[in-house]
Amino acid sequence: MNVKRFLLVIGICVVGMIANADDLDNRVREIAHMLRCPTCQAMSVKESDAGLSVNMKTRIRELLQEGKSEEEILEFFVERYGEWILRSPKKEGFSLLLWTLPGLILLLTILLLFQYLWKKSLIVAPPVETRSLSEKEQKQIEKDLQRL
Amino acid sequence: MKGKPYFLLGIFVTAGLVLVLIYGLFYASRPGAIPSAQISQKAKPFQTTTFAGQPISLQQFRGQPIVLNFWASWCVACRREAHIIETAYQKYGVKGAVFIGIAINDTRDASLAFIRRYGKTYLLAPDNKTGIISLDYGVTAVPETFLIDKNGIITEKVLGAITKLQIERFLSNQL
Repeated sequence: MNVKRFLLVIGICVVGMIANADDLDNRVREIAHMLRCPTCQAMSVKESDAGLSVNMKTRIRELLQEGKSEEEILEFFVERYGEWILRSPKKEGFSLLLWTLPGLILLLTILLLFQYLWKKSLIVAPPVETRSLSEKEQKQIEKDLQRL
Repeated sequence: MKGKPYFLLGIFVTAGLVLVLIYGLFYASRPGAIPSAQISQKAKPFQTTTFAGQPISLQQFRGQPIVLNFWASWCVACRREAHIIETAYQKYGVKGAVFIGIAINDTRDASLAFIRRYGKTYLLAPDNKTGIISLDYGVTAVPETFLIDKNGIITEKVLGAITKLQIERFLSNQL
């Protein structure tokens, strides 16, 4: 009975360790995916097997094991490499301008295009139908006004 | 005449988009073209042991200008700069300049063979297995050289083979 319990505890520990290792691997991959490979172009650290990328993955693992959060690890690399190491740079300063510029240009273009077409009378406001009142209608209105 | 402002605005917007495109394609995606985040920052301290077995730390060279070079035996440009750094060391080492070479992503045997082949005699040490020193300096490729002034501030990063002129310009201000 004691042996069975012992084996059960050992089994639970082994399963727990495997699950933890998988979780750590996944977190390393997730963070590595957010970082740009320093030696290659258009690749993340996760996808790259370059020496520096491999070192970065190892460092991410070490920092996670030290209990550092995702934010702290990203900050660690930003402090050393600068903002460009992030594949999605923080939306502030010049990066914010780059993020918003396409939308602003599109909006401006639509407005200018609309104004241009309006001026060229290619967009015409729907005609408003106008006509003067008939004698009968005029008399009816006067009658109603007197009644008020 | 009425169309002129629109024409100018169109040119301005198009030029802006082209500039952003050029920045994205040729500048933002080339790590080497981006200045190091560590320029004007305090050089990160490190400790290591040279290939000759001498323990060194950056702090022990406080008050001296340092040429910190990252290299590897498999790197072609490192061969080109090997004699330039060694010659500069022979000339300025006696005057108080410190030359340190950190081999990264390299095997010990290959590094030692390279050192022998190119007659390097200044302080040469391997980075540790996980490359902590090179990561701390934000190294993007080899060779890469950091010029650290007497106050321990990184004044310049040179990506690619360093030239005699770059070393002399830096040390003439420091010595």
